[in-house]
Amino acid sequence: MAAALVSKCSRVGRSLLGGLGNNTSGLLSTSNEIMSNNFLSQQRTFIQMRTVLKVVDNSGAKKVMCIQSLKGKKGARLGDTIVASVKEAMPNGKVKKGKVVYGVVVRAAMQRGRVDGSEVKFDDNAVVLVDKQGQPIGTRVFGPVPHELRKKHVKILTLAQHIA
Amino acid sequence: MRLEKCWFCSSTIYPGRGIQFVRNDAKIFRFCRSKCHKNFKMKRNPRKVKWTKAYRRLHGKDMTQDSTFEFERKRNRPERYDRNLAENTLKAIKKIDKISSDRQKHHISTRLNTGKVKKRKEARNELNQSIHMIKAPSALKEDSSLTLPKIKVKVSQTLAEENQPMEE
Repeated sequence: MAAALVSKCSRVGRSLLGGLGNNTSGLLSTSNEIMSNNFLSQQRTFIQMRTVLKVVDNSGAKKVMCIQSLKGKKGARLGDTIVASVKEAMPNGKVKKGKVVYGVVVRAAMQRGRVDGSEVKFDDNAVVLVDKQGQPIGTRVFGPVPHELRKKHVKILTLAQHIA
Repeated sequence: MRLEKCWFCSSTIYPGRGIQFVRNDAKIFRFCRSKCHKNFKMKRNPRKVKWTKAYRRLHGKDMTQDSTFEFERKRNRPERYDRNLAENTLKAIKKIDKISSDRQKHHISTRLNTGKVKKRKEARNELNQSIHMIKAPSALKEDSSLTLPKIKVKVSQTLAEENQPMEE
């Protein structure tokens, strides 16, 4: 929320500066500027309540909405577990729509710091459904998964095609 | 520890620097700083952005083929640690670096040489044709020592004689 405020302020500030700078260009340029600012200054944040995530295993669910993040006050990050509700599912799968499930975040658009000091980020927010013990429900995982799962979710790593 | 290359500008990324972006097709893009990252997000093609190594190599501004570049090729097989080998490699890296950078500098200076020759030729032409802007032609006719002799002489001598009318 704070992040959204900050980005809004920056947008307003930039449009003000744009208005002061070139009065002759008119309204069209400032609206374009706002569009491009929107695109460039996208603040990626945590996975919190109401975040819709993609499911990347063959458990049957397609889209899942986060209800609660089990770790972190502001929300879940890469490698954390979340409680989620299934919003969209394949017709014949292990998991049905409306079911409350646990999931492990395997791809997050927000960058996560690595031990060597660099940062990684992915293209989208994706989750792998697990049971309460942490064992994945599905038998395959699609797409790249990060190293960060090495400590706790070894099973998911073994199923993964590509470890980023 | 491995030193990577920035996807956009091709500079080396030291540990702790930059951001790695993993696309869903598992292709990893590494960036050395936010400048390169932002350019990537804008979907700019590095081959068209003037300050990147990709552009410079493509347009012949920098050296593209050299035997010293072979030493930097990515090798996927890890080598068993051998103290002598490590020591020799470190010494070799220094030497190879020096040779490589010398060759690259030479490449750039040869490229800029043609410009220098052209400039000198143009200066000589200008002196021959527009000397009337500095000294009136009638004055030059009276005192023949002030005119440039119309014979081809060695470079060092022409420089000395070009300076004469200027000093007046």
